[in-house]
Amino acid sequence: MTFSRRTTRITAVAGAAAAFALLATGCSSSSTPATTGTATDPITLTVTTFGTMGYDDLYKQYEADHPNITIKATNIDTGDNAKTDWQTKEAAGAGLPDVQAVEEGWLSAVMQVSDQFNDLSAYGANDIKDRWVDWKLQQATDTKGRIIGYGSDIGPEGLCYNKTDFAAAGLPTDRDAVATLFGGSSATWDDYFTVGAKYKAATGKAFYDQSGFLWNAMVNQQKEGYYKADGTLNVDGNADLKALWTKLSTATASGLSANQTAWDWGKGKAFTDGTFSTFVCPGWMLGVVKGQVTSAGGDASTGWDFANVFPGGAANWGGSFLTVPTQSKHPQEAADLAAFLTDAKSQAAAFGVAGTFPSVTAAQTDPAVTGTNALSTFFNNAPIGQILADRAKGVVAQFKGPDDSVIQSQVFGPSIQEIDSGKADGATAWNDAITLLNQLVVNK
Amino acid sequence: MTATLTTPPQTTDEQPSPKPKQKVPLTHRLNRFDVKASPYLYIAPFFVLFGLVGLFPLGYTFVVSLNKWNLLTGPAGFVGLDNYVAELTDPFFWNSLFNTISIFLLSAIPQLVIAVVIAAVLDQNIRAKTFWRMSVLIPYVVTPVAVTLIFSSAFDEKYGLINNLLTAFHLDPVMWKTETFPSHIAIATMVNWRWTGYNALILLAAMQAVPRDIYESAALDGAGPIRRFFSMTLPSIRPTMIFVIITATVGGLQIFTEPKLFNPTTATPGGPQRQYQTTVLYLWDLAFNRQNFGKASAVAWLLFLIIVLFGVLNFLISRRIASGEARASRRSTARRLARIDEQKTSVSVAVPAPAPAPAETVAAPRTPPDDSPTQEHRS
Repeated sequence: MTFSRRTTRITAVAGAAAAFALLATGCSSSSTPATTGTATDPITLTVTTFGTMGYDDLYKQYEADHPNITIKATNIDTGDNAKTDWQTKEAAGAGLPDVQAVEEGWLSAVMQVSDQFNDLSAYGANDIKDRWVDWKLQQATDTKGRIIGYGSDIGPEGLCYNKTDFAAAGLPTDRDAVATLFGGSSATWDDYFTVGAKYKAATGKAFYDQSGFLWNAMVNQQKEGYYKADGTLNVDGNADLKALWTKLSTATASGLSANQTAWDWGKGKAFTDGTFSTFVCPGWMLGVVKGQVTSAGGDASTGWDFANVFPGGAANWGGSFLTVPTQSKHPQEAADLAAFLTDAKSQAAAFGVAGTFPSVTAAQTDPAVTGTNALSTFFNNAPIGQILADRAKGVVAQFKGPDDSVIQSQVFGPSIQEIDSGKADGATAWNDAITLLNQLVVNK
Repeated sequence: MTATLTTPPQTTDEQPSPKPKQKVPLTHRLNRFDVKASPYLYIAPFFVLFGLVGLFPLGYTFVVSLNKWNLLTGPAGFVGLDNYVAELTDPFFWNSLFNTISIFLLSAIPQLVIAVVIAAVLDQNIRAKTFWRMSVLIPYVVTPVAVTLIFSSAFDEKYGLINNLLTAFHLDPVMWKTETFPSHIAIATMVNWRWTGYNALILLAAMQAVPRDIYESAALDGAGPIRRFFSMTLPSIRPTMIFVIITATVGGLQIFTEPKLFNPTTATPGGPQRQYQTTVLYLWDLAFNRQNFGKASAVAWLLFLIIVLFGVLNFLISRRIASGEARASRRSTARRLARIDEQKTSVSVAVPAPAPAPAETVAAPRTPPDDSPTQEHRS
């Protein structure tokens, strides 16, 4: 009693299809492989993005340049919610937009059904594939060699710190001095926690918002993370991860974590009231920090700055791709739009708005990225583009297995909460994580 | 010519014969068809819709639950009842069930009690009736998402209104989002806030339908407002009570939005340690985070069965409770009458009366022997 994927899909969609049949005919006129639609044949392209991607102005520009095209954009608040949205529509076989943004964290899930995405090679990908850093293009290529996504941003991590708080603790505030303080190019997690202990001793306050982001960075820095490159699990008995966990839980137990709710931070208040003074910042996080500080009533004078250093060396967190699902009625136009949104100029423009660091090499040296913009002004005129370009050096793409996000959020999430809230010590929390791993991933 | 002569009669013969056949029977048949079929056509929209969005998903879910089924890559083989067995032995399933029932009890019971009280108050002759009635419904109009946003800020552990107040009074802050019992209370509060007024209005409508003259005669007989409420109002609104309880049960056991959005940024839906992960949230997690569509469907069916079970249970209980008061009063009347009877025993022997009051006929089958004295009404 097995069902072929095709038949079940059809039954699942039958109801919806019947209801929308009339509506659909309105669009089907252009289902013939039209090239860029003509002025007499206007089309609407739907785009779904998430978080802060900084595309709003680019949409307007694209619409102005292509009078026949209207863009209907949807932005979902977080990557997790966007993943749920995509999965639901993918499983239902209907409802996906023409251009779907995909996060690195759920790329492994996307690759399971890569045949549900258009091979962009058929729509001009081969002409532009030299745009991207090698590993970004590699990530978007499936096992059959089909290119299913155009890379937008990457997430090299630097260190955000609050210079007002640092001054209060008697620590240097200049961003170069801060980079040196944390160990410069050879910064280690030990250095980071040592400075944290100093800070804690001087102010009595916590050093970082919560342990989850640090753990995420630690894992992402490894050559192999939760999975080995051959696809086998790499958690239980992984001495490197265990050692890092011990380091993190010891520091947390000594009061360096503010035990904040990630992505909420008291609606941003924790960013403005000195609850913590350092924060791990991939490029796109800079926009998030600015948003949080602003929503809590703060501004540039709140004192956040960005240093060219990261404990444990180069780390990459996240980054997205623009894909064209096979459900799209206008694959050519959608691919063109995706290509436009990810070209060097657009990526540089988006960076100025949202801090999404370009994955296109030409954009990384673009004056719009290396120079000042609204975001860099917020961060005390830090040359954020140059710093991120520096931080991107040495980043390697880590293999992400199918259950990577489950391990991150559901296996280690509860343990991180345990050590942050002081409910359990590091060793207990690690064992709890392994128990959950066996329950949720190994014996699922 | 003969041929032409013979044919016309044939045609004329044929023409009249189909005419009566076609004319009379057509309308006749149409009429018959109309009478027989059109009722089905009139009710068809509901059943077509119900089949499409009710029955079909139910059946489809059952089929999915019998398979190993990845949300994205689709079915991967028939496994029979394995998914059910796996879920019934999964501690997370039981944890979710415990949370659901705990939140359900914390919300349904206070909610219904308060709703009855509000309805009873609104049922009195008060000024600006419409204003008060509309006011209790306002929380229901607010979307659950907005409710949850407001309450989840109020219940925030570090920056929330409630904990700020508590600390202002030098009390310990409550860990609303990371401890089991406080989180259940917080979620139940949101449910209560939203649904109490709605239930109150439904109960009010039922109370309004109770004939006023029986209240008057009860008042004349010396029954106070509280006595009237328990002895007359409650038994009179019993069917509505049952309806409200059943809908509250179904809604309460399917609770999803409130726990989902209570702490939306937590890595595990329903609290870091699944402190308030309800069953629907658990099945959502199974399907959309862990991509296990088969197990999620099994959980959906288990939940369906549990809700049916609870519904039946509540139906029976609420019928007893609602009629309990009537029975108790009947019993006390009976006792009193029995006492009078005892005095007369020497004179007459009790003979079973033929038919008691209509209200009792409903209760009669469920009220075994000990209730037989009621029949002493006759005296």
